[in-house]
Parts: sequence; structure tokens; C-alpha cells
Amino acid sequence: MMKIDCGTYPLTGGFDELLEAAGKPRPSAEGLCDYFAGLPADELEARHRAVDAAIMAAGITFTVYSEAGNIDRAWPFDVVPRIIEKSEWDGIEAGLKQRLKALNLFIDDIYHEQKIIQDGVFPAEVLADSKNFRQACVGANPPFGVWAHICGTDLVRDGDGTFYVLEDNLRVPSGVSYMLENRQLMKRLFPELFARYDVLPVDSYTAQLYDMLAALSPRSGDRPEIAVLTPGVYNSAYFEHSYLAQQMGAYLVEGSDLVVLDDDCVYMKTIEGLTRLDVIYRRVDDDFIDPEVFRADSTLGVPGLMRAWKAGKVGIANAPGSGVADDKVVYAYVPQMIEYYLGEKAILPNVPSYLCMHQEDCDYVLANLDKLVVKPANESGGYGMLIGPKSTAEEQATFARLIRENPRNYMAQPTLSLSTVPTLCDGAIEPRHVDLRPFILQSKDINVTRGGLTRVALRRGSLVVNSSQGGGSKDTWIVQGVI
Amino acid sequence: MLARVAENLYWMARYLERAEDTARLINATTMLLMDMPRGASFGWEDLLKVVGLDEAFHKHYDEASETAVMSFLIQDERNPSSIFACVRMARENTRTFREVLPRESWEWVNELYLYTSTHLGHALDRRKRFEVLTEIIRRRQAVVGLLSGTMSRDDGFQFMRLGRNVERADMTSRVLDVSYAINLPYQNSQYYDLIWMSVLHALSAHQMYRRHVGVHARGHKVLGFLLNDLLFPRSVRHCLHEIQFALGELPGAEPMRRLQGMLDLVDRADYRALAANGLHEFCDDIQKRLADLNGIISQTYFRAAHPQKMSQSLFSLV
Repeated sequence: MMKIDCGTYPLTGGFDELLEAAGKPRPSAEGLCDYFAGLPADELEARHRAVDAAIMAAGITFTVYSEAGNIDRAWPFDVVPRIIEKSEWDGIEAGLKQRLKALNLFIDDIYHEQKIIQDGVFPAEVLADSKNFRQACVGANPPFGVWAHICGTDLVRDGDGTFYVLEDNLRVPSGVSYMLENRQLMKRLFPELFARYDVLPVDSYTAQLYDMLAALSPRSGDRPEIAVLTPGVYNSAYFEHSYLAQQMGAYLVEGSDLVVLDDDCVYMKTIEGLTRLDVIYRRVDDDFIDPEVFRADSTLGVPGLMRAWKAGKVGIANAPGSGVADDKVVYAYVPQMIEYYLGEKAILPNVPSYLCMHQEDCDYVLANLDKLVVKPANESGGYGMLIGPKSTAEEQATFARLIRENPRNYMAQPTLSLSTVPTLCDGAIEPRHVDLRPFILQSKDINVTRGGLTRVALRRGSLVVNSSQGGGSKDTWIVQGVI
Repeated sequence: MLARVAENLYWMARYLERAEDTARLINATTMLLMDMPRGASFGWEDLLKVVGLDEAFHKHYDEASETAVMSFLIQDERNPSSIFACVRMARENTRTFREVLPRESWEWVNELYLYTSTHLGHALDRRKRFEVLTEIIRRRQAVVGLLSGTMSRDDGFQFMRLGRNVERADMTSRVLDVSYAINLPYQNSQYYDLIWMSVLHALSAHQMYRRHVGVHARGHKVLGFLLNDLLFPRSVRHCLHEIQFALGELPGAEPMRRLQGMLDLVDRADYRALAANGLHEFCDDIQKRLADLNGIISQTYFRAAHPQKMSQSLFSLV
């Protein structure tokens, strides 16, 4: 029997987002537990089925790369929302804005005078070994001095209830479309719940994204030509690229749809010939965007795009080279950056990090591989990680070797006891670990999504929330107060 | 509008039209066969000829049995014109331009695909066939209706209109051509009326013909109706008018010039004479001109999507 019963919910001892103790919901979750308690089991089951059907019909999918070929999977969605009170959220929002401002000042500094290095706050050797530093970007002046326009910051809540920043995704962060879709699904399937809560809406995101991009246009005028640049239909996030283009009324283009002419302007190949393009929201990695400058074998990019961007003839978000700050070693220095550039204390704490480039840290990491989470500096999507407590001796040996070979490329963090949220698993309600990815937009103004994408590790005990590795998601509610 | 997207829209509309037309044709043929005299020469082999797939069929099958022909036309992916292949390609195309269509259209095309992929097996059985194919027609029509009711008449809409009508005109001329040839032996028999009526049935034109022309299916009247009627949406003339409207909203003059020649052709034809002689050559001419128009449309609008086939100097700056 499918039933959400807060009374028999098996708490794990860590921080649960909805319940303080078994049978005792947090004040913001009382209405929710109440509602689910009154929902007949067959009704819940019917709605659960309706969610799956709606996701299949809408074709909300992501692609998983595997040896057996690429598989289009339906987006796994859990019906129990995660609730955060607005008073708490306000602090997080301020912390996220502070962080992105500092990161953008850092990137701009790194591609100009590098004062932060001269002043001894940031070590030169970290930059020297950075895979994502782009020589071609040195001296470039994007509008407003902003490089990372769209940032997806991963937050986790530890056992004591504190939110920590786990990482800043500044290259081509994805997931925002799922955040928007999750809300649509919840509104369709549980309209009664919205009558009990004052949930802050999330759907202003696409308008804010449009405004943010429009502010990057090199030409004045009300309606700049904006396009989302996608690697194509086989990319795992193609659904999102298409979704965002649709929601903004923008073009969805592939590299082969664009051409840069001798005037350094970017043009789209249309049915009437060439039309000038003002702003590109690119979802293609730096390496592939311009075969003239980066990987020459790339067919996903546009020859001459960097030339056009540096000449100020086209806006590109995120700016090429902004990935320099999306590095798990650079991450460890963000609190110092905030102090250095803004003269403020970091509002959101970092997870304590051990950088293997420092001998002392490295020794500690090698001695405690069974307790730590080891991450490579430049990977995303949860690939190439070692989760110490769940690893075998063999895996630990492999990582010890990798770390000794290239210490700069590895960092480690203590294993956090990620907070849990009640989740419907095979008809029963069980705690599952979650993280939270809010999205921050910055060009002329700076905006944060209300809430973000809550990703959930659907396997019992698992801490890996990435959709490519068996993760799902939940709707995230920032609530003003219970009605 | 991006040239690549325009091309995908055009073909998506052609695929969906082809899927529906094939479903209608199969339904009409299944019904007709039950009326034909025992030992009549018309059979499943002829249906393959009507859709121009007899050669392709025999690459994979020996005998044109009902099961083999139905499987080939309905679900065989080796036949790029099978109903399943068309729906699948239309869905794959739609995936690449979800952003230009109203949001539900992708969902409905996706549902059409999901339905088709799970139900086509049943369509091989004569008893279930009518039901499944009718449902496919219904779902495809829902997509057309949704677009008609929710989509701005922008360039994207016009490219779908072009694709739909080029495909439909082609299908009408093909069905007319071949089913006439197949039915010729019966010209002076008691089945004369029945045969012309079957042509009308194959194109879902019988009811409108009866209403607007008459209850008896006379050769020259049927031809006039299917080739030159202004009001019937599956007549070649009507399709050409739709193409004309669509082209009128798009840039470029050459496609319109080619179209005029075809309009003159159906307008000036002597249908009484054609009913007795020369219909095959006439339909052949129409099909050639449609292929030519298709070529000019891609030349004019989609060229930019194929960089390898052109040099940049062909573009005009706007």
C-alpha cells in the first residue's frame, strides 16, 4: 500500500528537511504531512502514476552515455517536495550573490593584472596548472566585467543543519529546466497543496535569463537576436537547451547554423540568407566553441567566434575562459576571494577542503582515503570521484597512485552526512539524501532562483545525486508562511 | 527562421501527411477488397504499386501476401515510407525544433509516436487494423488541429503547410494514376461505378464527391473533382492553392513561378478526354513537376543548412 505516513518514517539520525523526529514535522512541513496523511493510498498511487505518464508524454528526458549506446531516460521525479522557509532562504540568497560577485571579480582579475596573485592571496602555481585557464581570453573585456553569467552552485546541508557550498558550476551548468518542470508537475498533480502554502513562484527565471542575455547585446534596440547554442540533439541536456530557447522565444542553433564573416560579426543562416546574431547562450564547452582557437577538430563550434567576441561584436554567456574559477582547487580559495575583493566575510561556508598540492594536506588525504571524498579538480557530473567510506581497498590504491602522479588535480573533503527528505520508494516513504542547486544570473543585475533544483540520491544510503548516476529530483518550495 | 529548422519542419509535415495518407489508403483498400468479385485481379500487389513501393517490397519479401504487405507498409522500418518509420522520423524531427512550436505539439507528436510504437503489431490483424489505423489518423489530425488553433502563422507554420500539401498532392496524383490503371480492365463491366468509387474511397473523397458532384461516380467527373476542385482539400488544385498561400508569405520568387505552371496545367486540362486516354502521362507530369517544385523549395530555402553544397557568396545579407 502506498502511503506517506510521517509517524512511521524511519529517520536516519542525520538532518531531515521535513521532520525533526519521527511523527514530529518541522513547523513548515506540518501542512504537508497533514495533507499526505489524509490522502488515501489509492489516490496517491494514481497521482504517482499520473506523474510518470506526464513525464513520458512531455518527453522530459535526459540522455545517459553508456557502453551500450545512448539511452533516453525519463526524468525521475519524486512527489514529496522539499520545503525551506523564506527567512532561511534570504540568507542563502545573499550568500550566493556575494559569492558570484567575488568569482566574477576574480576571473576578470585573472585575465588582466592578476592582482590577487601579486598580493599573495592566491597561489600562482594553482593558476599555472589550471586546465581551464584560456590564454586566448587574456585582456578581453566582456560587458560589466562579468564573465560567469549563469552559475549553478551546489549546496549541501550537514548533520548540524548548516548549508555548505559544495561547488560552483560556472561552465555550462544544467538542471534549471527540470526545476521549472518540477513545479509544473506539482501544480498539475497536487493543486490542493498550493492552497495550503504560500510557495514563491519560480517561473520568472526565463524572463530574467532573457533580460540578462539581452543586456549583453552589442547593439542597442529592444529586441536583440538571441540564440542558445547546443551541441545537438544527442547531448544529454538537449531537452533543456530546447526548453530554454522555447521559453525565451530565442533561436536554438547548432554550430553549423552560424558563420563569422570578415566584419567579425556572427550571422545565422536563415531562409532569407544571413541574419546578424547579438547574443549567444552557449551550452558548448570552451574546448569546442571555436576550432580556430581551441580544438581544431571540433565540429560543434563556429570558426571565428572568439574573434567576434573579443571584438565586442557578440555577447557570449558564459564568457569563454570563465571555467578557470570552476575548479575544485580554486574553489577552496573562494572565502579568501570574497574578503579580498569585497572586504566581507563569506556568508556561506565552504566544505573544509584538503588540497593535495600542499604536502601536509596530501599526507593527510593519503592516510585517510577510507574516510574522505576525493575529487578531481576539473570533472563534472560526479565522474572520477572516490567516496572513501564506500570504496574498496583496490579503489583506494588506484586513487593513491593518481594523487601521487598529479597532486594539483586532486582535493578531498570529509564525507558529509547529507540531509534527507522523505521520498517515495517502492510504495513506502523513506529518507533519501539530497543536495540543492540554485541558479544565479549576473550581467547588469544579479538574480537568484527562488529555491533551485533539489537532486535526490534514489538508492538507499547513496550520496550520489547526479542524474547520470541514478539520481532523481524534487520540487523545492521556498515558503513565505503556512496559511 | 533558420534554414535547418525550416527544412526539418517541412519534412516533419511531409512525414506525418504520408503516415496518415497511407493509413487511409490501407483502410479504404481493406474495405474495397471485400466488395470485389471473387478472382478479381486487384490485390495487395497493386496496393504496393499505388504507393510506388513494389520494387522496394520485393527486395525483402517474396510473395505479396496480405500479412507481408501490411507489415511492410505499416511497421517495417526498412521501408522509410512505412507508417511507423514516418511517425518516428516526424518525432525525431520535432525534437530538433521544439522551441518553434507551441509546447503541446511536441507532447502530442510524442504521444502519437508512443501509441504507434505500441499498437502497430495489432494492425496486421484485419479485425484490429481499422481501429488502430483510425486512431493514428485521429491523433495525427489532433496535431494538425492543435497547430492550426495555437500557432502563429509565421514562417515555421508556412513550411509545414508547404510540406503537407506537396505530399498530399503527390499522393493524390499517385493514387489516381495507379488505381485507374489497375481498374481499367473493368471499364465496361457492372463494376464500373464501383471502381471509380473505390478511387474516391482511397482518397477519403467519396462523401464530398457525392455531396458536391453527384451520387454516380463518372470518370471525367471524378478526375475533375480530384484534380481540379477548388474546395476539396485533397484535390491537387486545392493543395496547389495552399502551397501558393504559403509561398506568398515566404521570401523568394522562383518557387511561385514554377507553381504557376502546374496551376495552369490542372486548370486547362480536358477531363473528359483524360478519362478515356492519357491519364497516366498527365499524372506523371504532375509528379515530375512536384518533384521539381520540391527541389526548388530546398534550393531557395534550405540551401544554407547544407554548407558543403554551397559557397558563402550565395548568401545575401539582410
